[in-house]
Amino acid sequence: MPEGQRTILVVDDDPDARDFFITVLEDHGYATVFARDGNEALQRLVEGKPDLVTLDITMPEKSGVGVYRKLKEDAGLSDIPVIIITGVSDDFKQFISTRRKVPPPDGYLSKPVEPEQLVSLVGKLLA
Amino acid sequence: MELDYRQVFEAIPCSLSVIDRDFRVLDANDRYRIRFGDWEGRYCYQVFRRRSEPCEVCPVGQTFLDGERHEAEEEVQTIWGETLTVLVRSKPVLDESGAVVSAVEMATDVTRIKNLEKLIRKSQKRYHTLFSQVPCYISIQDEDLNIIEANSAFQEDFGNVLGRKCFEAYKHRNSPCEPCPVQETLVDGLPRTREEVVTSRTGQTKHVLVTTAALRDAGGAITAVMEMSADITHVRELEDRLTQLGLLIGTVSHSLKGLLNGLSGGMYLVNSGFAKGDEGRVKKGWSTVQRNAERIKAMVSDILYYAKDRVPSWEPLDAGEIAFDVVTMLESRAREISVDLSLEAGPEAGGLEGDPQAIRALLANLVENSLDACRLDDASTGHRVVVRVEGSKDQVEFHVEDDGIGMDREARDKAFSLFFSTKGTGTGLGLFISNKIARAHGGEIDLRSEPGEGTTFVVRLPRLKPPLSELPISPISEETAIHA
Repeated sequence: MPEGQRTILVVDDDPDARDFFITVLEDHGYATVFARDGNEALQRLVEGKPDLVTLDITMPEKSGVGVYRKLKEDAGLSDIPVIIITGVSDDFKQFISTRRKVPPPDGYLSKPVEPEQLVSLVGKLLA
Repeated sequence: MELDYRQVFEAIPCSLSVIDRDFRVLDANDRYRIRFGDWEGRYCYQVFRRRSEPCEVCPVGQTFLDGERHEAEEEVQTIWGETLTVLVRSKPVLDESGAVVSAVEMATDVTRIKNLEKLIRKSQKRYHTLFSQVPCYISIQDEDLNIIEANSAFQEDFGNVLGRKCFEAYKHRNSPCEPCPVQETLVDGLPRTREEVVTSRTGQTKHVLVTTAALRDAGGAITAVMEMSADITHVRELEDRLTQLGLLIGTVSHSLKGLLNGLSGGMYLVNSGFAKGDEGRVKKGWSTVQRNAERIKAMVSDILYYAKDRVPSWEPLDAGEIAFDVVTMLESRAREISVDLSLEAGPEAGGLEGDPQAIRALLANLVENSLDACRLDDASTGHRVVVRVEGSKDQVEFHVEDDGIGMDREARDKAFSLFFSTKGTGTGLGLFISNKIARAHGGEIDLRSEPGEGTTFVVRLPRLKPPLSELPISPISEETAIHA
């Protein structure tokens, strides 16, 4: 991994979505790791702290909501910017932070995602 | 003082006449003349009834026969053409020897009373028709909750309930319901409205909206309560259906967004692959585009199947051929994700009666589910899906086996539930519809699965179309329980 390369954890149960985000991010100079469900995502976070997480919400096993809360409640991880990427309705943006005292996600993208949107949001959050 | 009998005769407030044994009118009062015209020298049947012959039966005739008083209700015609109902009374007039020489006939106009009676009878009849024919259940309960009256609809659906307690008749309880709207109305006379669930004599559950009204005696005391229940089962079903529709729109839009995201990803790979001259990436992108487009197509057909209340159009089919069609259709998709899809169909597969389009959709949904289970399993490669057709004397079995990710207990239990999906891009329609189709054909689907060990679906369909009585009434609308 080149010096200073940022690592992004891509969490999505849909292989097409994972391939998509990973390819776009790698094409723009980021390193990636991925997880296929919530439990795997937590595992990856233990293995190494990424610079940013893209997180799907509806997944088998542990859902994205659980991962998000866990991450934001963990003092060691709560500073990692998280982009929620989901096909669930836009109201979700509010929902995730109102239920318990967790801050709203740093970024939110609705599927279908445009590659430029993703790259520009990641760039902004990592600037 | 001697009475002036003529004056009395004239003063009596009814038509009076004296008739001789030949039915000739001997005398009559003015009232008689005013109503029936001149009578001198005429017969009573001519004057009274405008007839040329004596009446077959009349009180006067009877009086001449037995010397007794008689009365009868008759319809007579006035000189101005009005038909009156009169109460005719006849009394014999005797000579010194006691022989009946003539009769006094007194006719009282009872037309108005008669009309009122008719009106009351008509209105009673109308109320009775209303009571028995209204498209809702009406019963009347006394203070002890005995059903003392019930309309036709009620008796049709709950049997002969008269004399039984209401809670026994349609709630199948041994004690009054708590709270009981009838008892509440008995206490304060106020109407109550409540939704209840009752069971008909055939065991059907019905949602009813019950309204009670107090019935009082002439003194105003409450003696009974009328209970009117509108069957709102259909309304409830419609509500459920609407809720499902809402859920459908939610899940469809969610999965559609997922599939569109896959399309975006595929297009990105194709475009960036061309830009970089990376043929592998273009190929991968193109197959992603194709796969997601196919799944959108399949989803649309599932939705259409769900929306339409489809009854199978039965025809003789070859089981092996149907399976071959499905495997051929999905072969290229399997190849793209490196899954070996194969068909094993022996001669014992044989034929069956069914709807070819529906059975193809049923199998395609199962095979697609298996292909997805393989695609989602990153733990190993070289997956295979086998479609096997077997048969016995009475039924055909289609086995769809995969070695994909498998299902845990929850996924197994809910596999055929509407809108249940573990896939981010699933609608939860596919297996639900497969199950519906199997049941519409009088068959069933069995499922064996363990996480990490793959899944086997076994579809059993009868070779011959079962009698209608054994098929679900509505293949789509029944058993649409929501498992959120």
